[in-house]
Amino acid sequence: MNPRPASDSTHSPWPRWWRFVVVAIGTLILCSCRAGHPVAGPYGHGPAPSPALPQQAYTGDAAAYLAEADCPGDDAAIPLPSAHVAPWTPPGARAQPWPPDEYLFDGGDQAPATRIAADWEVHGLNAEDTVGHFDTLDGRTVVVPSNRVSIYSPRFGAVRQVVSLRENEQWDPWVGIHQPLQPAGHADVQIAASSKQQYQPEGHVGRSLASIYQTKQGDGAVSNAYRLESTRRRILPGEAPAVLGQNTLEAAETAWLADGVEAALAWSRPEGLQIILDRTRATVETSDQKVETIFTVKEPEARPRLRVIKTASTPYAAPGETVDFTIRFDNVGNQPIGNVTILDNLTTRLEYVPDSAQCTVAADFFTEPNQAESLVLRWEVTEPLEPGQGGVVQFQCRVR
Amino acid sequence: MPRVVGKTAMVVLLCLGLGTPAAAQQPPVHYWHQGAMPPGAIGSLQLQRGGPLPGYFQPVKIKAPDGALISLAEAGTFGPAQQGPVTVGMLIGPVYRIRVTNIPSEYGREVFPTVEVINRLYAPPGTETRFPIEVELTLEELQLALSGKFVTRVIYLEDPQRALPIRQGAQGTNWFEAGPNHDPLAIADQLGRPVAILRLGGRLPDAEGPSIDFLYGCPPVVAVAAPQSPQEPSAAEPTQASRSGLWR
Repeated sequence: MNPRPASDSTHSPWPRWWRFVVVAIGTLILCSCRAGHPVAGPYGHGPAPSPALPQQAYTGDAAAYLAEADCPGDDAAIPLPSAHVAPWTPPGARAQPWPPDEYLFDGGDQAPATRIAADWEVHGLNAEDTVGHFDTLDGRTVVVPSNRVSIYSPRFGAVRQVVSLRENEQWDPWVGIHQPLQPAGHADVQIAASSKQQYQPEGHVGRSLASIYQTKQGDGAVSNAYRLESTRRRILPGEAPAVLGQNTLEAAETAWLADGVEAALAWSRPEGLQIILDRTRATVETSDQKVETIFTVKEPEARPRLRVIKTASTPYAAPGETVDFTIRFDNVGNQPIGNVTILDNLTTRLEYVPDSAQCTVAADFFTEPNQAESLVLRWEVTEPLEPGQGGVVQFQCRVR
Repeated sequence: MPRVVGKTAMVVLLCLGLGTPAAAQQPPVHYWHQGAMPPGAIGSLQLQRGGPLPGYFQPVKIKAPDGALISLAEAGTFGPAQQGPVTVGMLIGPVYRIRVTNIPSEYGREVFPTVEVINRLYAPPGTETRFPIEVELTLEELQLALSGKFVTRVIYLEDPQRALPIRQGAQGTNWFEAGPNHDPLAIADQLGRPVAILRLGGRLPDAEGPSIDFLYGCPPVVAVAAPQSPQEPSAAEPTQASRSGLWR
């Protein structure tokens, strides 16, 4: 029988390194729960408005809007004594703006993504979604989401509970006390929990300082290493170290120095290749010639594109107020697109104002109820859009 | 012996490591609080949960029926009666006692509700006073309190994803009725984020005047002027009394 190795002398079923792995994993888990998350920025970290939009358009960047626009009611508002200069955002919060339960969102395409079936039926159009879709020349149907607009609009609800109070008066007089048990005695023996014992020192240990210092003198030769401060490498022995390194010219190194200067002159000759054609200095010299030249014309790659931008007239609205929404769509591709359709699935708290929809291009407008007890707005542009063409859709919603 | 100690230490470390993330994943709800807890208890527990709550004066808009007068407690007694709505800044956690007088059809009688703010809003800078927490004193609930009932009204911020698809019009805040065996705070927590608790009925002040205990220590309030809405212009300018303020 072979003897066990020294590391297995403990007879433990787990190797010693396994303990360290467990301790390291536990430490990492503990540290991960207390590590600071990257602090998300304030509202200004949202997507910047498109430069194509008017300045007063609001696309979700509250900070930018507030910095430029006058806030209604600012004159009458009294700053709170402990109001925060910037909106507070909890560490690690990814949702912007925060908190999302105080905002209404409209626009974008939330998961699952919107799909257009072959029979033009729309699938995956959720509440708050705003998309546009079009057909390309090669027969494809492309869905393009708009940007997401956020409007600060908190709304309150209440839960009420009514409880009846009943007065009750009850007298419970004492009828007597009977307590037959009495303490017969009490013994408590306590053992000393600590003891004190004097220990005498067995000896005295001291330390004596050295009284004699012994030094050793070398042979008198002192060697120094010199190095230039601004160079990366040391000076080689053949590079006249005395004059370059120590700024001291010695007679024995004069020949080395002259040789080095000559070599430097050989590498710094100003003459180079020059070509003169008909007393004119040529700027380009070619070394070979071709018997033919082939010209090719590349057609740009087909890129059908539709850009959909949605804006709101205000970044905040109280219940009952009206918000004007604007959707701009443009063909930013390089080929015509057809059957352009704009869809806006309004969220629960947005109520379409009847007869407020307008479109700058010829389009058919439809509405249909959605699952959020609101409406799906649909504009079907009748004419194809050439590259560079577009239109604007405007409508109003009342905040519920 | 050292081997046992080492294994015990590893077990404790693993329990701590697995338990700490579980504690950090607690949902931000109040289910472990009961709506019937004494006034001030829920707000105090909310302060212990962290966040920028201490010291912040959350604007609160107190509405009352037409003709009713609202008095806020200040300096150990009730201040001047004002026509509603009254917008003030309240701290999160303390309990504020209010006196409601001149109640329609109940003239000469008084109700002393309490308001406890348990959370705050995070409005964009400059719009805090435009979006206050709305605390509504309805005539029905005032009459219930006068008839000896105890009314608890938990005001919550609606989750937009689960909001009622109805308008919030002149009838006031939409509300639900919680049964006697249900906790209104838990129901409000399911529907949104509870921000304030209004309690009516029950205790009355002593005959010689309200004691400091009755006023819950008379916590400070800040008077703020309600900004005018651009689409709902107010007929009256901000009163001078509201601008004089109760800055402390």
